[in-house]
Amino acid sequence: MKLSFSAEDEQFRGEIATWLEQNLCGEFEQLRGRGGPGDEHMYPDERKAWERKLAEGGWTCIGWPQEYGGRGASIEQQVVFHEEYARAGGPGRMGHIGEGLTGPTLIAFGSEEQKQRFLPGILAGTEFWCQGYSEPSAGSDLANVKTKAHFDETAGQWLINGQKVWTSNAHESEYCFVIARTDPESVGHKGLGFFLLAMDQPGIDVRPIEQLTGTSEFNEVFFDDAHCSAQDIVGAPGEGWKVAMGLLGFERGVSTLGQQMLFQNELDEIIRVAKLNGAATDPVIRQRIADAHVGLRIMRFNSMRTLSGGGDDGTLQKEAMIYKLYWSTWHRNLGKLAMDVLGPESEVLEAGPYELNRLQSMYLFTRADTIYGGTNQIQRNIIAERALGMPREPRG
Amino acid sequence: MDFTFSEDQLLFQESVRDFLVNEVTPEKIRESWESETGRSPELWAQLAELGLTGITVPEALGGLGMSALDFVLLAQECGYVALPEPLVHTALVAVPLLTDIGGELAAQWLPKIASGEARVVVGLSQNLLVEDAHTADLILLQQGDDIHALTPGQFNLRHNESVDPSRKLYAVEATASNIVCSDVAVITACLNRGALGNAAQALGLAQRMVDLAVQYTSERNQFGKPIGSFQAVKHHMANVAVQLEYAKAPVHRAAYAVANDLNSASENVSHAKVVACEAANLAAKNCIQVHGAMGYTWEVDLHIFMKKAWALANSWGDAGFHKNRINDFILRADTPLGAGNTFLN
Ligand SMILES: Cc1cc2nc3c(=O)[nH]c(=O)nc-3n(C[C@H](O)[C@H](O)[C@H](O)COP(=O)(O)OP(=O)(O)OC[C@H]3O[C@@H](n4cnc5c(N)ncnc54)[C@H](O)[C@@H]3O)c2cc1C
Repeated sequence: MKLSFSAEDEQFRGEIATWLEQNLCGEFEQLRGRGGPGDEHMYPDERKAWERKLAEGGWTCIGWPQEYGGRGASIEQQVVFHEEYARAGGPGRMGHIGEGLTGPTLIAFGSEEQKQRFLPGILAGTEFWCQGYSEPSAGSDLANVKTKAHFDETAGQWLINGQKVWTSNAHESEYCFVIARTDPESVGHKGLGFFLLAMDQPGIDVRPIEQLTGTSEFNEVFFDDAHCSAQDIVGAPGEGWKVAMGLLGFERGVSTLGQQMLFQNELDEIIRVAKLNGAATDPVIRQRIADAHVGLRIMRFNSMRTLSGGGDDGTLQKEAMIYKLYWSTWHRNLGKLAMDVLGPESEVLEAGPYELNRLQSMYLFTRADTIYGGTNQIQRNIIAERALGMPREPRG
Repeated sequence: MDFTFSEDQLLFQESVRDFLVNEVTPEKIRESWESETGRSPELWAQLAELGLTGITVPEALGGLGMSALDFVLLAQECGYVALPEPLVHTALVAVPLLTDIGGELAAQWLPKIASGEARVVVGLSQNLLVEDAHTADLILLQQGDDIHALTPGQFNLRHNESVDPSRKLYAVEATASNIVCSDVAVITACLNRGALGNAAQALGLAQRMVDLAVQYTSERNQFGKPIGSFQAVKHHMANVAVQLEYAKAPVHRAAYAVANDLNSASENVSHAKVVACEAANLAAKNCIQVHGAMGYTWEVDLHIFMKKAWALANSWGDAGFHKNRINDFILRADTPLGAGNTFLN
């Protein structure tokens, strides 16, 4: 066990800190601290420009292997990168789905041709991705997707028909990865395919859904004979579930560290407000701030423990999505803490019509954390059955 | 940055676990409740034989010269079996305090601890009562700002029963004065080690309770099915599993800080103590619930582990004490805010 950074890591820290200082300014100054949880609808175009800036500096996809254009950065360097990025107030990353999910999935399961075609746009910060998993009848029961993929022999391409829902940033994306049924007779996780679809085509219709925050980050996406070329299916027809689940595994990698840095900024903001308005002297609030601090530390130590291979219970750490349940619950509590620190002020909006202040949007947004990406109840089922080995629930 | 334990550390843990699980069974623990001292000289001799009583004693004085980091996994195993003998107290509290005090006192007592001839215990003001004072050949007792070294004849004992029949607690009244240390830093380090020992044992206790409950709920049927297949039961256990798994890294981090004498040690230890004891308390609460009335009996072993978990949560600083130490750190005016400032602390 060795819990410190090497001299090279510290040098790397200097490099990224300097780059951020010299580049996160001018037109990008206004982006500092923006686009995080609850604020992700803000400045999309400016944040896309920022992605291109990052790419110029070689700061996108730093964890990807060098042969695919990344830096092959070590875990330590990625930790350092996330620390410095958050310290500088780097904006929420528009490219995180491509960088964190599409890229690693293609590197693991994609064909050489797919890697050549799709990875450069992600690296360059010019092409953005969204995730087409959920459907009206496939939420927690994701394997119940109804969207169909039919191979049109004459045209030599796939035709996609059906509907996705809750698709975050579909309106800001060039591409979507979609799970659809390649075998119309199949049920459950058999007979699915994993498709890479261009969003800008007549067969795709994106309609925003208004959230309880009054803003729109997610959408309904309708597919009416949407095209997907023959080579844009990842894995074989029928193997889509394997790819889809492999992708979810990447969700729990190093990107968790970046998320924790955002959490730290939020907690610090709450502490700042609490010191300012006197809430920090209330013994109950003090205890809850300590709890929040302790919980965040737990996540950090555990991410690093898992990343350095120190989770002695492989099943629990990797399979069971233990992290999702932990952070979402923690973050929901943080949202509530923010409101209680604000006290009576917490209900007063910044301005009309329905303009929330930052802590209010954070509070409301945290109510989605325990739902998306697998609800808390589903996580607990999985932990109990897969990690603890408790008897399985009969499923219809 | 590396959060893993070495091959040697893991092998040592495994062999100690095998030994303890075989030797310290719930039946043996129940027998010890009936014995006069509640302690077993034979078991203590075996532990000494394995090098465990002297694990943190410097090699020059007959020990294995290992650190808190080497010992932390073993302390978890002591918790797993609810070991009544004060091994964690000896290795993490008494020996390091004697080592810090040094000189004649250390040279005289440390070899005897390593060989298993002597038992030494520590009583700090933070604790209401002193553990295992009745079998101690030497008590290091805090009085005000000083530590006194007292041998039998220099103190009077009054026994207090603990809710955990394995714990032997005494009010100690000194009848002599023999100051051996007045260094605040040394006393704080000692308190940290005591709290770390409890945190590590709490992890083992929680794991044991989970194992018992998973086994029970997989075997007990109601409504024609194992009760463990019901979600309400599963979710109780999943909540414990998450807290327990996630309490490990902070405990290991604290052991690292203690072993390396880092500035952050007090804060790291408080963090570890709070979360590990919370995990054990939740394990106790949920595991008895899923046992139904069975869990409420003296006969079922669950209470052996629950009671130790409850007791450890409030000794060497309770949750309030440790949360306040954390708060003093984060709400101090000069604590830097901002991501990354405290990443590895
Ligand atoms: C802000 C936000 C962004 C999202 N972005 C995306 C995206 O980009 N792409 C995408 O594909 N999806 C996205 N989603 C969808 C998300 O993944 C689903 O909402 C989630 O999987 C839950 O499905 P559901 O909403 O249909 O709820 P349901 O499955 O209908 O669940 C409703 C309730 O029933 C409970 N429940 C259901 N089944 C069980 C069971 N077996 N045991 C116990 N309890 C059960 C659930 O826990 C929940 O409390 C997003 C959702 C949100 C809120």
